[in-house]
Amino acid sequence: MLSIKNMSKNYGSTKALQNISFNIEKGSCFGLVGPNGAGKSTLIKIIVGIIQQYEGTITFGKSLGANQKQKIGYVPQEVCLEENVSALENLYFFGKMYRLTGKELHERADEVLSYIGLSDRKKDKVKTFSGGMKRRLNIGCALMKEPELIMMDEPTVGIDPQSRQYILNMMNEMKQENRTIIYSSHYIEEVEKICDDIAFIDHGKIIEHNNMDVLLKKHAIPSVYFSGDRCSKYIQEIEHLGTITEHKKGYILTTRNPMQAMEKILQLSKKNSVVLDQFELLQPKLEDVFFTLTGSELRA
Amino acid sequence: MKAVFKVEMIKNLQDKGLYFWTFILPIIFTVLFISIFTAGTEGADKEYVIISIVPGYTVMFVFFIIISMGFSFIEDRNKGMVARLASTPLSPYAYLMGKWTPYMVIVMIQIIVLLTFGKIVYNIPIDQPVLLSLLAIILTLCITGMGLAISLLIPTGNMGVAITQVVALGGALLGGLWMPLEHMPTLFQKIGKFTPQFWAHKAFKDAMTGTLSHSNFLVAALVLLSIGCVGFIIALVTYPNFLKRAKN
Repeated sequence: MLSIKNMSKNYGSTKALQNISFNIEKGSCFGLVGPNGAGKSTLIKIIVGIIQQYEGTITFGKSLGANQKQKIGYVPQEVCLEENVSALENLYFFGKMYRLTGKELHERADEVLSYIGLSDRKKDKVKTFSGGMKRRLNIGCALMKEPELIMMDEPTVGIDPQSRQYILNMMNEMKQENRTIIYSSHYIEEVEKICDDIAFIDHGKIIEHNNMDVLLKKHAIPSVYFSGDRCSKYIQEIEHLGTITEHKKGYILTTRNPMQAMEKILQLSKKNSVVLDQFELLQPKLEDVFFTLTGSELRA
Repeated sequence: MKAVFKVEMIKNLQDKGLYFWTFILPIIFTVLFISIFTAGTEGADKEYVIISIVPGYTVMFVFFIIISMGFSFIEDRNKGMVARLASTPLSPYAYLMGKWTPYMVIVMIQIIVLLTFGKIVYNIPIDQPVLLSLLAIILTLCITGMGLAISLLIPTGNMGVAITQVVALGGALLGGLWMPLEHMPTLFQKIGKFTPQFWAHKAFKDAMTGTLSHSNFLVAALVLLSIGCVGFIIALVTYPNFLKRAKN
């Protein structure tokens, strides 16, 4: 669907992107994860054609063809709508940009309104909408031409949990329709929920790019949390199993072999007559992967 | 392009401030200054003042459309609309034309309203209506073309206001809209010929009184059209930089 090779972009002395290369398969949901200022938006703007001066190459697959702007839907980071006209007029406006006309335009606008859940507010001016409604309409405008590739740049910033969930559900529907999605966010839990392939980007570089499962297996280490009175009595006896850190009222044991560790903790608790208040296996998360790779928390 | 035109037109029609700047204020100024400068005059002298002031204030006030154009482009830039549209198949040319044409319509209506007001209230002569209509169209292209260039170059809306004031008021002074050029120092008379206001005002006055020769019309048209075209070319050339500064 899309191949990027050796892409670099500088803003003066600032290196926004440094020699980035990756491929995106048709029908996949590609997550672009990184803190603010990492280079995500720059990369997206280059792909959609807003930034035209850069080094490297972008190759669009056959399904996008030569006239790729007709087949790419771009959802910008900022809500970008005409506030003084209705939701329907906004959809007509962007539909016309993609050369939709007449009956096709009207039918598609009605479909999109239904899709984004704004059919009952279609004639209301956008300035009367809530932040979440504007975000949904912002996405809807990019869907007018039924794009093959949808580029979403932080589409859920600053909205309520209900609207966020609505948008994530919409994205899952798009995935089921076999659309290719590039989804940029610094909300790592969202990416974890919906994306198949993930690229971590920081300081303009792709730190790691892989399938979600591979990333978790490769970089994230599972851990065991346990707490209870007098746990400290046997801590020394399990230190060789992994790394122990104090957390709240208990301990986290980070280990490559969590089952063995859990068994050992149970044995020692029984032997020392320690009653465990809490005892659980902590599944590795994408955020842990980023932490492992960069050695720092995500900058919000 | 039509979609951009339509939305821009709707936004302008909803802007009550534009009605004030475009119609009410020029009419107030015209009435006020005609009453001041014709006080105690009669006959040919009075007619001379009216024939100078009506087109003069029309020409001066049409320049203020540049303020509205500037704010509209700055809004598009800061809101991210320019960047978003650049991601669609819409060409920069179509975007600029779509943004430009609504202001042409507004300026045309403004000229018609102000001259009609002059005709109804002061019975100004309109001896060469065809040439006057052509001049109105050419002046519209000139001013909105300049407006387009300024709108894409300015960093902020306030800067647009400042530049428009200099262009509109400075040009009005030097172009002989406020007082006849022959009453001004020689140097000012020479500088005045470099302003679009001078050519527009002179041609409008002559067309009203039926003294505009075809050659003088062509010279004025050429000067004004050239300014408009240069404005559009500057806008087209500076568009990539304008897009670079756009949000999103």
